[in-house]
Amino acid sequence: MTFEVDTNGRVRAVVIEAEGAASPSGGRFKIQLTGDADRVRSVVDCRRTELGFSLVFDDGRVVDVAATATGPGEWLLQFPHVDVTAAVDRRRRERAPSGGAAAAGEQRIKAPMPGRIVRVLVKAGDDVAVRQGLVVVEAMKMENELASPKAGRVKEVAVTEGMSVEGGRLLVVIE
Amino acid sequence: MATTLLIANRGEIAVRVIRACREMGIGAVAVYSDCDRNAMHVRMADRAVHIGPSPASESYLRIDAIVDAAKRTGASMVHPGYGFLAENEDFAQACLDAGLTFVGPRPDAIARMGSKTRAREVAVEAGVPVVPGTGAPFDADVSDAVIARAAEAIGFPLVVKAVSGGGGKGMRTVTAAADLVSAVRTARSEALSAFGDAAVYLERRLTAPRHIEIQLLADEHGTVVPFVERECSIQRRHQKVVEESPSTVLDERTRHAMADCAAKVARAVGYTNAGTIEFLYDADGKFYFLEMNTRLQVEHPVTEAVTGVDLVQWQIRIARGERLTVSPERALTPRAHAIECRIYAEDPDQGFLPSPGLVRALATPSGPGIRDDRGVAPGFDIPVFYDSMIAKLIVSGDTRADAIARLGRALDEYRVAGVKTTLPFFRWLIRQAEFVEGRFNTQYLDRVLVERKGLRFVEARPADDDDAAVAAALAAWFDAHHAAADAPVPSTGAWRRAGRLDALR
Repeated sequence: MTFEVDTNGRVRAVVIEAEGAASPSGGRFKIQLTGDADRVRSVVDCRRTELGFSLVFDDGRVVDVAATATGPGEWLLQFPHVDVTAAVDRRRRERAPSGGAAAAGEQRIKAPMPGRIVRVLVKAGDDVAVRQGLVVVEAMKMENELASPKAGRVKEVAVTEGMSVEGGRLLVVIE
Repeated sequence: MATTLLIANRGEIAVRVIRACREMGIGAVAVYSDCDRNAMHVRMADRAVHIGPSPASESYLRIDAIVDAAKRTGASMVHPGYGFLAENEDFAQACLDAGLTFVGPRPDAIARMGSKTRAREVAVEAGVPVVPGTGAPFDADVSDAVIARAAEAIGFPLVVKAVSGGGGKGMRTVTAAADLVSAVRTARSEALSAFGDAAVYLERRLTAPRHIEIQLLADEHGTVVPFVERECSIQRRHQKVVEESPSTVLDERTRHAMADCAAKVARAVGYTNAGTIEFLYDADGKFYFLEMNTRLQVEHPVTEAVTGVDLVQWQIRIARGERLTVSPERALTPRAHAIECRIYAEDPDQGFLPSPGLVRALATPSGPGIRDDRGVAPGFDIPVFYDSMIAKLIVSGDTRADAIARLGRALDEYRVAGVKTTLPFFRWLIRQAEFVEGRFNTQYLDRVLVERKGLRFVEARPADDDDAAVAAALAAWFDAHHAAADAPVPSTGAWRRAGRLDALR
């Protein structure tokens, strides 16, 4: 099987071929990695662990990695020293990108995390300076004042005080 | 009949108290909110009582529900842990009124030391130096102009502090007069929602202070024993991130002087049970009383590691009226060096954005000199309602260098699968020259974080990308071939797709 894997913007084709019958608990695999310029071939003995995988490559190198699905085709790979996110076959999954890109210069301030709107400091039509506070969001017990990334005018305030918001929810539009 | 103790808390501290109960042959009762049904502290307890919906105000902060749970389960003692109701004198009083033994100080001591301005007065009367600042607090209705005049008198930079604040909440540093009004507004509002009290006061900000604190135990018979200091200067936005003991800067003489001051403050209020006196230690070697925490501290294991004294067991014994028999000399003599890291479900590479979600699996360090105080077990969905601490990792070694080397080893063994954690940040921090050489103060971490401009703490090497690509492809392969067996559950996507973080300040 061939997978197209994107890690940190590097896209590689990974060809995986089971040597003999692989069971749900693991198996031996021939691996071929084709990337920008490099090309890696090896055989890996792969065992599934409670975290993810224990890999022993044919040169004896050991890799213990936690693997968590974070979305369709998206994986969080956690090594002892570093976390890496990987997208598998993204191009195959992605539909046409949605339209509605923000007009030039228009800034859409969104909730960076789920939380509660404690205060709305501006209203539509207000002129705002750069770094002027717009909305105060309480999340994880801390209050965070979201500031305007630019000087401009408030085009829209999409929330009211006391409202609970999901991460990514539109709060304010600055034009 | 065996004693039963109810823990009015959750997470790792509830687990810590349950462990003490087990060792003392005391029954342990847990309380839990909706989202904590499957939490580790509930699973470990002897009995557990549901006390309400997930928001803390409807569960862990409900005095009536908790007192009722104690009555229903026949508990005779209540341990408040830290946070939530731990420093709420009404809760302590409600426990006493219900005939329960409160494992902590008396309500009047909590009230006096819980008000930062009144605590300052106590310290002044006890002859202990305090940081210059406003004597009386500003209530919610005091005008901006009055506060501005007081600020001018103290000078900038200064700190706006909530009278009832703690843990960095309700606290803002102001470097210029222009920022004063907005800082007071945020501090007031944060304090009002977190502590129900909008009163604030102003304090001069020392130029490069270290945060050094003295743990103490005091029994009901007049014995007060201060312990060797804890160094807690590694802070991010006034939240302690790393704590260690002993401090690299205190000599024997200063340690004893600071311990004496701490004991004086405790005696001045007739303090009982465990408490901590926090000091600011300035670059010139002078130290000032900062505040008192009238409860067990998050970082108490550091003291336990260097002295061998079980502080939680002593809390319970003191509450039962026993005499404190820890020798003052033992308490003040570190027999090791210990360091604690607070491991949070936060993404350090995105400005420490909270990253709650399902902890799918865990690998925890073990071996010599390791202690893992954890409140999260695999399969637990870290809720958004409370602070996102996963565990405290405490290491000890003969010397500070040994402890740092051991910490590096332990951090690499620690794996939390499924959520982003602050582990990569700690792996970076302990390799910084300032940390290794002990050259830091309370502003160190915030300063270097600004200087780094969001640079990743640990950069994946091309070889890591290759391994990740192989692992991801294998994961996809197993998904395709053996999907049903134990397919990992996807975590919520909302947090990963966090919006413009740079708009946060």
